[in-house]
Amino acid sequence: MSDIMLSLRQATKLYAGVPAIDGVDFDLRRGEIHALVGENGAGKSTLTKVMAGVVTLTSGAMMVDGTDVAPRTPLEARNLGIAMVFQENSLVPTMTVAQNLFLGQEKFYNRLRGIYISAQQFLQSLNFDVTPTATVSGLGAAKKQMVEIARAVLHRAKVIIFDEPTASLTPEEKKYFFDLVRDLKKRGVSIVFISHALEEALLLADRITVLRDGKHVVTDDAAKFDRAAIIQAMVGRDLSNTLYGTRKSTVRPAGARVLTVQNLKMAPMVKNNSLSVFAGQITGVFGLVGAGRTETFKIVSGVLKRDFFHGGEILLHDKPVRYRVPAPAVKAGIAYVTEDRKVEGFFETSSIARNIYLGLLSKFPKGRMMLSRRETETVGKTWIEKLRVRAIGDHGKVVELSGGNQQKVVIAKSLVQEPDLIIFDEPTRGVDVGAIVEIHELVNQLADEGKAVVVISSYLPEIMALSDRILVSRQGKVVEEFSALDATEERIMYAAIH
Amino acid sequence: MKRIRFNQQEIVFAVFALLFLLFSIFLRGFLSSDNMLTLLQNVSVLGILGLAMAIVVIGRGIDISLIAALAVPPGLVLQMVQNGHSLPASLLTAVLLTVAFGLVNGWLIAYAEVPSLFATLATGLLLAGLGQAALFQLDVVQWSPGMDGFERLGQGTILGIPTSIVMFAIACIVVAFLLRQTRWGAYIYAIGDNPYAARVTGIPSRPIIVLQYVVAALIGCFAGLVMAASVNSMPTRIFNSTLIYDVILVVVLGGIGLSGGRGGVLNIVIGTLLIGTMLNGMTIMDISYAGQNLIKGVVLLLAVITDSFLNPRNEETAQQGDI
Repeated sequence: MSDIMLSLRQATKLYAGVPAIDGVDFDLRRGEIHALVGENGAGKSTLTKVMAGVVTLTSGAMMVDGTDVAPRTPLEARNLGIAMVFQENSLVPTMTVAQNLFLGQEKFYNRLRGIYISAQQFLQSLNFDVTPTATVSGLGAAKKQMVEIARAVLHRAKVIIFDEPTASLTPEEKKYFFDLVRDLKKRGVSIVFISHALEEALLLADRITVLRDGKHVVTDDAAKFDRAAIIQAMVGRDLSNTLYGTRKSTVRPAGARVLTVQNLKMAPMVKNNSLSVFAGQITGVFGLVGAGRTETFKIVSGVLKRDFFHGGEILLHDKPVRYRVPAPAVKAGIAYVTEDRKVEGFFETSSIARNIYLGLLSKFPKGRMMLSRRETETVGKTWIEKLRVRAIGDHGKVVELSGGNQQKVVIAKSLVQEPDLIIFDEPTRGVDVGAIVEIHELVNQLADEGKAVVVISSYLPEIMALSDRILVSRQGKVVEEFSALDATEERIMYAAIH
Repeated sequence: MKRIRFNQQEIVFAVFALLFLLFSIFLRGFLSSDNMLTLLQNVSVLGILGLAMAIVVIGRGIDISLIAALAVPPGLVLQMVQNGHSLPASLLTAVLLTVAFGLVNGWLIAYAEVPSLFATLATGLLLAGLGQAALFQLDVVQWSPGMDGFERLGQGTILGIPTSIVMFAIACIVVAFLLRQTRWGAYIYAIGDNPYAARVTGIPSRPIIVLQYVVAALIGCFAGLVMAASVNSMPTRIFNSTLIYDVILVVVLGGIGLSGGRGGVLNIVIGTLLIGTMLNGMTIMDISYAGQNLIKGVVLLLAVITDSFLNPRNEETAQQGDI
């Protein structure tokens, strides 16, 4: 038996030609706890999904116990002894714990009493305090996780992969989880876990691997790292070489205060969040996944439904506002450019011009009861030229465009509404390189024109290149504010990681 | 792709032409002027209902309660006149009832967020039940002398064209104007295309959804008035018939995708012609009611399957690129 349980060699996965992981080598030893850390988009999730058979490699090799394997489905990976515990758990909420444990392995005659007894014995052998007859939807996050782990052990998993296992746990539950993981290790199980919480990685892991931009940076014993060293490895990219250009040497001064958010609450994502946005400058909002940035600004622009709104105050131009739907927010001059343009960005069966015209109609309906073909065409033409949308004729449909051009149409649809406050949520996600530069130019131009611009981004170079003022969000609220002049990648990342 | 692509409208129209030709040759009496008149009359009520359904289907909904709107308010008009009220007052009451009904539908779907299929299934039953229990004295509400003159809405000809066809044409023009020329029409297409994007863009989605169901109910009521005028009575039991399936058949066959945002009045006209010809031919061939239902069921199933291939309703549509 070799010492290496699972390994990846030159693992590469391309999504539409863009590498999510790029030539990564990874070794998992038998019975070790291995932490994966890195920024959003560093490739951690992709790497674990490859191991778990959720995605297949574009090129490269994977070995389990020294033999070449290529699991194509989670089931195949499970048969190889690899189990993954996902962030959103994969239990059936209406079934009981025991039913979930034996899901997919039921005998033809599925006697409930029988599986309750086996489940009880099995859970006791693991020392898990979960009632097998309890319905899963009634369990807390920690207990659900226990069920998932129990299921993995039941499937004789030799490798268990956790994606952000502690994100939804309370401190006591976390402590219990750590004990659990150490116990699994004693049983000879190898553990891989993704974490944004560096302290946890340092505390729990035997070894740590740092990924950056889809590439392997370093793997070493946890004892040889400290917090600063990990952050250095996570962000240590050569900024001058990226297309985002050099960092700012001057910042725009703050104009009038346009937006004030005070003690905004929305369980479970936004916790007492307070922030301000000023005219004539770009406010960058950085944070890791789950920091509540998108949710906060979706509340501001009325996109999130009111049932999620739990308290706090929003002031627009120093007047309290509370939008239950986006329409009045749009009328008041707020534009939200979504992070998910495929779902809530554009109208796919309509032409580019019609998309933009619809933006105009919904902001300025007065005197436009009848549609005007001529106005549709002029509006379309103006904005296609202004944003340099590359399309075959103005009547092309938006689905036929590239990601960058689609994004430009979504932006045009908002800009035609002449907003004072523009919120860009991940403005260059899934956008080709050329369009990134153009979209950044546009964002800068808007701030120069005196608009209040918010850029939400999980990508540090983007935040550094665009922002005049940087807000760092962590666990549902803004925790630190920097001027772009004295922010460094290390300081921002330090604030963003709990 | 090199393959020549017919669009659904052309295919359906070709099928209609073929069917019409075959029926003309092989079915005796199909081309007779009497039969043509019946065909056109049946078709026009179906077509008007199809227009009402088209509006909500384009907005990514469905309105199963249309037949109740067809039967109950016009039945109320006949009943009230029979009871001695004046025609204008009766009409006004019926219109108010229809608007209220549409508002209830719209509120349930837009604000209470009940899926349109279930909401309208329930409200349709409610309205029909209300009519039978509280409003009508007989299942077939009879014509009374006070209604005289009103039958011209469904009988006779205008400039040589049967009046019911003229009514269908008027309804077509009104709906086409609403959908293609007005801001509200643009909003309906936008909501049907992508309701989330419509919301974020600032389109007043919920009021527009309510508007769809009010307009649909009003058009349904109009269809009922035309029908009552052409047969000189209101058989309120029509609610229990399979008419609603014919309407859905018209919409889906005509090429208005159930996934919303696609199609228009032309699709309804073509769909109506095909279904009308088919139903008429089957009647002449003396196919039993059960047999007709069987055939309609199969055609509807095929149409729905084809529709879900042509217009898939999920996010992947956005990634397919070339449709």
